[in-house]
Amino acid sequence: MDYIIEGFIEAFNLLISFDIELYRIIILSLVVSFTATIISTIIAVPIGILMGIKEFPLKRVAIRVIYTMMSLPPVIVGLLVFLFISRRGPLGILGIVYTPAAMIVAQTILITPIIIGLVYNATKEKGTDIQALGKTLGASKSQRLVLLVKELRMNIFTGIIAGYGRGISEVGAVMLVGGNIKGHTRVMTTTIAMLQSMGEYSIAIALGIVLLTISFILNSILYYYQQGDLSEY
Amino acid sequence: MNININRLTKIYNNKTVLSIPKLQIEKGALLGLIGPNGAGKSTLAKILGGLEEASSGNILYDEELISTSLLKKITVVAQKPYLLRGTVYYNIAYPLKIRKVEEAEIVIKVDEMLKEMELLEIKNQKAWTLSGGEVQKVALARALIFNPSLLILDEPTANIDPSTILVMEKMIKKINKDKGTTIIIVTHNLQQASRLCDKIAFIYRGEVIELSKREQLLKNPQNILTRDFIKGELLK
Ligand SMILES: Nc1ncnc2c1ncn2[C@@H]1O[C@H](COP(=O)(O)OP(=O)(O)OP(=O)(O)O)[C@@H](O)[C@H]1O
Ligand SMILES: [Mg+2]
Repeated sequence: MDYIIEGFIEAFNLLISFDIELYRIIILSLVVSFTATIISTIIAVPIGILMGIKEFPLKRVAIRVIYTMMSLPPVIVGLLVFLFISRRGPLGILGIVYTPAAMIVAQTILITPIIIGLVYNATKEKGTDIQALGKTLGASKSQRLVLLVKELRMNIFTGIIAGYGRGISEVGAVMLVGGNIKGHTRVMTTTIAMLQSMGEYSIAIALGIVLLTISFILNSILYYYQQGDLSEY
Repeated sequence: MNININRLTKIYNNKTVLSIPKLQIEKGALLGLIGPNGAGKSTLAKILGGLEEASSGNILYDEELISTSLLKKITVVAQKPYLLRGTVYYNIAYPLKIRKVEEAEIVIKVDEMLKEMELLEIKNQKAWTLSGGEVQKVALARALIFNPSLLILDEPTANIDPSTILVMEKMIKKINKDKGTTIIIVTHNLQQASRLCDKIAFIYRGEVIELSKREQLLKNPQNILTRDFIKGELLK
C-alpha cells in the first residue's frame, strides 16, 4: 500500500517541479497525436462527407470496411506500418522507422477511419435535408458544400476530438514503430508500459494522471457537444 | 412564372405514385393542392421545386426546363422544414447572403420581414429552441425574403394557431398580389384553401382528379371522388 501512496506523492512532485524528462514525454505525446489528428482530419472530413451524400459502386462494402477500421487493434496497425517502413521493407528507404514521423503515420491510420465514420454517419443523417434546403434557397454547388460543412461542424468536431483521444491513449502502434527510445520516441503510454515492467511507479503514475486528465477534458468536450446535439432536433 | 407539366410520372420501388398527363399553372396563380395522405402532393411539390427528379415526362417553367439559374427563383417550404444551426435572423438572412446582397440591406430587409411575420421577439433565438409553429413561420419568412417567382408551400400552417394562420395567409396573399408570385400550396385545411386559392386541384392516388375554380371544386365538385373527399367520406 505504501508504495502506491509514495508513488502518488512523488508523481505530484515531478509534475509541479516541471521535471524536464517528464515534460518532454508529455509534449511529444501531444505533438505526435495532434499532428496525426490534423492529417487525418484533412483526409477524413471530405471522404466522410462524400460518402454521406454520393452514391457509388461498392458503397456498402466501403462503409463496412470503415466501420471495421474504426476499431482496428493498434498493435496490428503498428506491425503493418513497421513491416512497410523497416529497413528491409518497401518503404525502408524513407528511413523513418523508430522516429516520431513513423508514430504519426501509424496514428494517422488509426484516427482517419474514426473521423470518416463519424462524419459519414452525421452526413447520412442530415446531409440530404441540408443539400435540399441549400438548393431550394438558391445556393450554388460550392455554397451548398460550405453550408454542409457549417451545418455539420459540431459532428466534425466531435469526430476530431474522438480521433485525438484514440491517438493519445494507444500504446501498441507507437511502441512498435517508435521503439520507445529515450529522449526521442518515448511517449506517455509507452513510458507507462515500460516503467510498470521495471517496477518504477512514480513517473508512471504522474503520466497516468496527465493522460487521465487529457482524457477527461476531451470527454467533457465531447459530452458537452453531444448534449447540445441532442437538444437540437 | 408559367408552368407546363407534360406526361409526368414518378415511380418509387415499382409503384407509380404520380401520373399527370397534362397540367398548366399560369403566372400569378395561387393554386391549392388537396387530397388524402399519401396521394402524392408532397412528391409533386418536390418535383415542381426541382428537388426530386421525375421518372418520366417534363416540366416547363416559362418554356424552360429546370436549371441552376431557374432554381434560384423557385423555392419549396418543406412539410418538415430544416432550419440552419443559428439564430432566426441567420436563417432568414441566409438566402440574401448567398445572393451577395449588401449587409446593410440585409439588416433592413430581414428586420422588415421579422416585423411583418411577428417574429421580432425571437429574432436572436437559436433555431433549435423554437416551437413547431415558430419553425414553420421562420421557414416561410426565409422563403419570402428573396422574392421567388415560384413559391411552393407544403402544409405551411400544419402546427399553427388560428390567429397566426391569418398572419401567414396575409403574407402569402400579399406576395402573390404585389409581386405576381406563382404560388402552389398543399393543404389539408379546406377552409384555408377556400380563403387563399383561386383554383384548387384534388389529387388522389397520384392523379389530378379535378382542377377547377375554388367555389366550383369545394361547393359543386364534378367528380364523385372529390365530392366524397370534401364530405370526409372518401375511403383510401
Ligand atoms: N422516397 C420515397 N421512397 C418510396 N416511397 C415514397 C418516397 N417518398 C414518397 N413515397 C410514397 O409516395 C406516396 C406519396 O407520398 P407523398 O409524400 O407525396 O404523399 P402526400 O400526398 O404528401 O401525403 P401527406 O398528406 O400524408 O403528406 C406515398 O405512398 C409514399 O409512401
Ligand atoms: Mg405530404
